[in-house]
Amino acid sequence: MSAATVLGATPAAPSAPAPGIHYQPQGREVALFEHAYYNRLPMMIKGPTGCGKTRLVRYMAERLGRPLYTVACHDDLTAADLVGRHLIGDAGTFWSDGPLTRAVREGAICYLDEVVEARKDTTVVLHPLTDDRRILILERTGETLEAPPGFMLVVSYNPGYQNLLKGMKPSTRQRFVALSLGFPHPELEIAILMRETAIDAALAKRLVVLACALRTLKDHDLDEGASTRLLVYAATLIRSGMSLLDACHAALVEPLTDDAETIAALREVIQASLGGQG
Amino acid sequence: MEEQVGALWHRLVTRASAHRFPVAAVRLEDMVGLIGIYFRALGGDAGLEVKAADEHRHGARRGLLARIAGVGDRMALAWRDDRALLLPPLIDRFPEAGLNRDLYLWLAALATGEARKDDDWLTGNQHLARTTLARFPGLGDRYRRLVTAHLAERPDPARLPPPEAEAEALIRQALTAPGSVTRLPRGRRPPLPVPLWLHPDPPLPMGSATAGPEGDEQERAPDDPSADLGRRRRQAERAEMPHKDAGFIGIRMENILTWGEYVRVDRATDEEDDLERAKTAAEDMDRIAVARDRKAGGARLRFDLDLPAASEDDLVLADGERLPEWDWKQRCLLPDHCRIQEMLAAEAPPCPLPEHLRRTARRLRDQFQALAPARTWRRGLPDGQAIDLDAYLRFATDRHAGAQGDPNRLYADMRSGARDLACLLLADLSLSTDTWVDDRGRVIDAIRDSLFLFGESLAATGDRFAMLGFSSRRRDPVRVHQIKTFAEPYGAVIRGRIQAIKPGYYTRLGAGIRHAAQRLAREGASRRLLLILTDGKPNDLDRYEGRWGIEDTRHAVGEARRQGLEPFCVTIDPEGNDYLPHLFGSGGYVVIRHPAELPARLPLLYARLTAGG
Repeated sequence: MSAATVLGATPAAPSAPAPGIHYQPQGREVALFEHAYYNRLPMMIKGPTGCGKTRLVRYMAERLGRPLYTVACHDDLTAADLVGRHLIGDAGTFWSDGPLTRAVREGAICYLDEVVEARKDTTVVLHPLTDDRRILILERTGETLEAPPGFMLVVSYNPGYQNLLKGMKPSTRQRFVALSLGFPHPELEIAILMRETAIDAALAKRLVVLACALRTLKDHDLDEGASTRLLVYAATLIRSGMSLLDACHAALVEPLTDDAETIAALREVIQASLGGQG
Repeated sequence: MEEQVGALWHRLVTRASAHRFPVAAVRLEDMVGLIGIYFRALGGDAGLEVKAADEHRHGARRGLLARIAGVGDRMALAWRDDRALLLPPLIDRFPEAGLNRDLYLWLAALATGEARKDDDWLTGNQHLARTTLARFPGLGDRYRRLVTAHLAERPDPARLPPPEAEAEALIRQALTAPGSVTRLPRGRRPPLPVPLWLHPDPPLPMGSATAGPEGDEQERAPDDPSADLGRRRRQAERAEMPHKDAGFIGIRMENILTWGEYVRVDRATDEEDDLERAKTAAEDMDRIAVARDRKAGGARLRFDLDLPAASEDDLVLADGERLPEWDWKQRCLLPDHCRIQEMLAAEAPPCPLPEHLRRTARRLRDQFQALAPARTWRRGLPDGQAIDLDAYLRFATDRHAGAQGDPNRLYADMRSGARDLACLLLADLSLSTDTWVDDRGRVIDAIRDSLFLFGESLAATGDRFAMLGFSSRRRDPVRVHQIKTFAEPYGAVIRGRIQAIKPGYYTRLGAGIRHAAQRLAREGASRRLLLILTDGKPNDLDRYEGRWGIEDTRHAVGEARRQGLEPFCVTIDPEGNDYLPHLFGSGGYVVIRHPAELPARLPLLYARLTAGG
């Protein structure tokens, strides 16, 4: 019964516990995650894009030895996309589990990435799973699944995106223990860059100083600051032989804005911060 | 003939004496946006505006030709104060446009540095240059190029008299090796200013020259002519208030060869019947003297007459609600600082929609009806939450009967346009909206038409909405005109109130937003949109002008966001891009270039803001 590809969600094959996912903790988030897991509490991770939310969840799934189902939420994601639906086959109709149902059946971690993107009526199906009942009701098949101890629900969202369009229902929010991830502090971010891309410390430091400068423009000239992910991209391009300025332009300027004047100003900022280094 | 020779001579001698390259000139107005972002990214204060600095007389030695031509005695230098980053309005001192542009960027980078206490101009600028070069290594090459180009245009020490030659040599050294010079010898003349450094003696901001403590607030006419003097900042100096009996001419008039720079014109109490001349005079002045006058003058009297008598004024619905205000210098909220007076138009007979809006309103209503919330099952889809049983039954029976049905349209999906939304429109009714836009109408007319069309359109969607107008006269009272509450249906009565709005007073935007936010926060909707419609910056008679008003408004917007509201500003101020990102964030506002576009664009903007909710 593998029909995951017809769902609106990301194909929901459980990630094999790939050995050696690296995650550099910013604080005590790993311990908090473990406490939540062993006490069967659902978890909400807040933080700007590219700060390591998904990496943390993957790392924790591996650490706890649980399969991981990731669903990238979007406007059209319905409750049926999460729970499952009847499909039509040659012999008639059959029921197909959605990623949430499968995670409950298998005792896996179900990770709803950018959960505020999902429609509000969709997230209501999570409610009985997130209180002490820990059940999932499948109305269409008449089943009530009780989540085994290994099951954990993790959601994440970016508070910066909420302002004009979306918000999360307070009744949903209050069902999670929550954790805020920011961009790592500079020394840690330098260490992450060096580890991920094998660039030297001096260059990593320059890139991080630049990213901090661009982050000060958030909410004024830019909607979002440069993420750690973009820094990793920039460092990767530099490692593969691109010039500093071109790599930063491609990885740090263009993805952040479409406005010609802002692009020109950011180029000057990069030139001032990194120029003279090739 | 004599005139032609004169003009030719002037051109020749000016060209020969001035180090100017008009072809390579770079103007601040073309770079102001870029410099703002650059300045902020390098760590500059995000609350500062980028403005053009004035030219100041520097008093340094000039060449013979320059003296003959009467040029080169003034220079515009850069500096930073608590309101603005000031840069020369134009840089044309180098033959390459790239270098002129680099000078702007260098000055902006230099101004991000923090000055040390007790530093004088010379050591302070060297310190700033050193730290700037250390923080931004990419500026090193540019700085060296700028210094080389600038040294070529500085006077040759060998041709200067001894103390000035030594000073010049030291300045050259300070430029090439910042930090290496600690003091200059005192000469008879100051050395030529260094355009790569910040101003040695920046003038006080106009605000600090005029703003006094509470109770000593300066009056300002609503349409202040100084606004027309462009974006340049004037040098200000304090002067005593002229006494009317003090005029005494101690010299013979025929000996006066030139105009004096100091003309005692009592602008505050002057009748100002010739604004054009006053403006021209102000344009020509290097330094404008400002005196503080505690007497009520003509302007004040005229203003007070503008207030309607209580019997003529609108009905007061509620009076006395107190709201706080943000003191940006103390970084604290001043509790109960503003008093809100809720008003309802006294004379507002119900009326139909004005004729000229009917066609647009009909079109908008049609468009908005399509947006009306509906939640329906859509059937016959290739994918969906559930099987479309009718379609599947047809498909299955067809197949049993041997016919080929369409296997791609067998699902049904619930598509929802449901919106749980409340919107409050807050319109600026300050006196500045009384300005004529063109020969057809004033800003207030555009705002009135916008309110009409907004009401017509939203009535079509069924979304809950309210409309308020506001104006202020200092912090007490801030007048809030009730046009439509959430509970009232839109109709002839509301149209009558819209028809009755009239401009008056000032724009204490922070108080307006706080009051509107309180009203909106009481609505139970899951999305609450606060649309602010204005024609310019926050301002009021007192210190609310400038940074105070900006920071208070920013704080009020932040409070509204924290309450879960969504503030969005629509402005027709062409300079809105300078300060609105600071207030509302880059995605929180829109500048409409021409007020005439406002009525039709506002409802569509609303549709865009609320789509997908």
